[in-house]
Amino acid sequence: MSFSQFALQLLTGLQIGAIYVLVALGLTLIFGTLGVANFAHGALYMIGAYFGLVVSSQLGWGWAALLVPLGLFGVGILFDRGLLQFFYKRPVTDQILVTFGLAIIIQELARTIFGGTTKPFPAPQWARIPVDIGFGYYPPWRLVIIAVTIIVVILLFILLRYTKFGLMVRAGMRDPEMVRYLGIDATRLFTIVVGLGAMFAGVAGIMGGPAYSIEPGSGMAMLVPSFLVVVIGGMGSLVGAVIAGLLMGLAVSFSVIFVPAVSQVIIYLVAVIVLIVRPRGLFGVEGIG
Amino acid sequence: MSNQGKKTKTLSRRSFIKTGVAVTGGLMLGNQLGIGPVHWSARAQDYPALGNFPVGDKVVFGFNVPQTGAYSDEGADELRAYELAVEHLNNGGGMLATLMPSSLTGAGILGKEVTFVTGDTQTNPDAARDSARRMIERDGVIMFSGGSSSATAVAQQYLAQEAKVIFMDCLTHSNDTTGKDRQRYGFRHFFNAYMSGQALGPILAERYGTDRRAFHLTADYTWGHTQYESMKQFTEAQGWATEDNIMTPLTTTDFSQYLTPVLNSDADVLVLNHYGGNMINSLTQAVQFGMREREVNGKTMEVVVPLYSRLMAQGAGDNIEGILGTSNWDYKLSDEGSQAFVTSFEAKYGFPPSQAGHTAYVQTLLYADAVERAGTFYPPEVIRALEDYTVSGVGPGAVEYRGCDHQAFHDILVVEGKAPSARDSEYDLLETVKQVPRAEIGYECDFFPGELGPYGDES
Repeated sequence: MSFSQFALQLLTGLQIGAIYVLVALGLTLIFGTLGVANFAHGALYMIGAYFGLVVSSQLGWGWAALLVPLGLFGVGILFDRGLLQFFYKRPVTDQILVTFGLAIIIQELARTIFGGTTKPFPAPQWARIPVDIGFGYYPPWRLVIIAVTIIVVILLFILLRYTKFGLMVRAGMRDPEMVRYLGIDATRLFTIVVGLGAMFAGVAGIMGGPAYSIEPGSGMAMLVPSFLVVVIGGMGSLVGAVIAGLLMGLAVSFSVIFVPAVSQVIIYLVAVIVLIVRPRGLFGVEGIG
Repeated sequence: MSNQGKKTKTLSRRSFIKTGVAVTGGLMLGNQLGIGPVHWSARAQDYPALGNFPVGDKVVFGFNVPQTGAYSDEGADELRAYELAVEHLNNGGGMLATLMPSSLTGAGILGKEVTFVTGDTQTNPDAARDSARRMIERDGVIMFSGGSSSATAVAQQYLAQEAKVIFMDCLTHSNDTTGKDRQRYGFRHFFNAYMSGQALGPILAERYGTDRRAFHLTADYTWGHTQYESMKQFTEAQGWATEDNIMTPLTTTDFSQYLTPVLNSDADVLVLNHYGGNMINSLTQAVQFGMREREVNGKTMEVVVPLYSRLMAQGAGDNIEGILGTSNWDYKLSDEGSQAFVTSFEAKYGFPPSQAGHTAYVQTLLYADAVERAGTFYPPEVIRALEDYTVSGVGPGAVEYRGCDHQAFHDILVVEGKAPSARDSEYDLLETVKQVPRAEIGYECDFFPGELGPYGDES
């Protein structure tokens, strides 16, 4: 394998992993704080992608970059207040059933509105022509995906590490009951967390849409690998989600070159191996997951 | 409840026998009157019980199409065409005026009104079989039809053979459907991967020269495999070399990891043996990776999509411009049959039909015509009426249903994606480069090994 082939495959792996990371961050944030396994998270990704398509084609990419994250934050708030809050204390099976049911409803609504066929979702004009990156030509939009993911991860870490809100979220992730006793409005906190999780899914949608195109099943297709990323990383671990997401992306990319036959199942193989060695996931905390 | 319980308890052996005799007698009487169970209807008395038979003054068709999943838009168009076909069979119109020769009357089939039930294949062979089995066993369909996906078509053909109910394949392009998996009870009007290769090979050499190296990305299931083999065979016959082939899972949405190896190869042609959502994604992403601007060995890289459809072209948007492929039919064809269908379809739905819709419509009419000619719904007789039968007026040129493998032979099209500026509507996406006569796309019956199996009435 030549250096350029290795480098291109590495870059592709990082880009695939970047989308997994964006989706998984929201998933693990919601699970870590609320203890809710949100199976509608893929649907939020899909809403972000379709919303991005509509706004970018009507108002341009500038507006799409602004409105999609904000819009999805709003969707997350509505999702929490309208449905999720009633399931905080319910068994995990109830949470899975209701969120999965919602995902199916959203998927079929998208099919009714946009049709079942894949929609072309053109990237911004400046990001369409491949650029020379020294070891080959690469689509600029996919480089943007990697860059945006890095920025989102850094911003999230700053938010959680250096702000009062972040402190409350971290406290909530560790012991939600004690947070309430300390007089913090946990309900509001949880709602904002769901909003943030949805926002990340929205960012993933608007990033992933032009790279992969969109169809109503896009959300479900994204859900399974993202959940595996969360499980491998350790349920509720943000660092784990980032590391596991990138690991998955690289596994998918390199398996095509070295063992094409297993490329379809490589993410499951990685999950099995990691869970045998570390049942709580790479960065899982005892008692969670 | 308690009374019922007592009654059950007091059901004696004597009353059980009495009831049994009464029921059996009733069934025998029903048989004589033509109102009994499926096979015992008056019209079928000349034949032994086999498959399904219409009861009363109606006959039921089953249309099993993908109503959910990646091919659901295609399935929706097939359903529209099936519905139109049923309407025309019952009331006349459309291709009933152009079919030559024709035994269709426009007043049902053999005097019976045609009705239909629908099912969802989910583009999954198991789901397709389950749905088809329900149609056969619960709804008593006399014929079922549907697509898309060769995997679902092949699965349904085997079920058809087992249940002795005729299956008219809709959109299936794998060589296997009428090759190794051919069945006596399955008939395919749609063309196949081998014909695509035959038609496309010379045009590719003419356009891009004979010194080319092709890299294939192939959908990893029956259709993809045969499509790759056929394209490899016919491009190599023109002097091309095959650089490599990667099988991509049907569920793939991100093809980037498959495209980077292409960038690192010597290939100057990328052949996408993909269909539906796969093709939309792989083509879009190939364009993103600069495949169309790429210069290799002093030549501009070319992308080829051997099987095209308008619905796919709509999904791929502007990326289809200048890309060559093949198609079974196009709504812009000017022959009488095509235009009769397009006119009535547009009148009913407000937009032109797809090639999937065309095949769905034609298959329904050809089955109905065969029943009229056979004078019975009895499946072996209908099969014999369809075999080695030539008809015209359902598209360009004549259509011959070959008896040895149940593959229909007719003209097919080599098409090219239109530039956005050359389109006259959102449906006008493909330009016909060549209408390839059926004489140029033939092959011997035993070219693909396979057995049709029995009619079911052999003694």
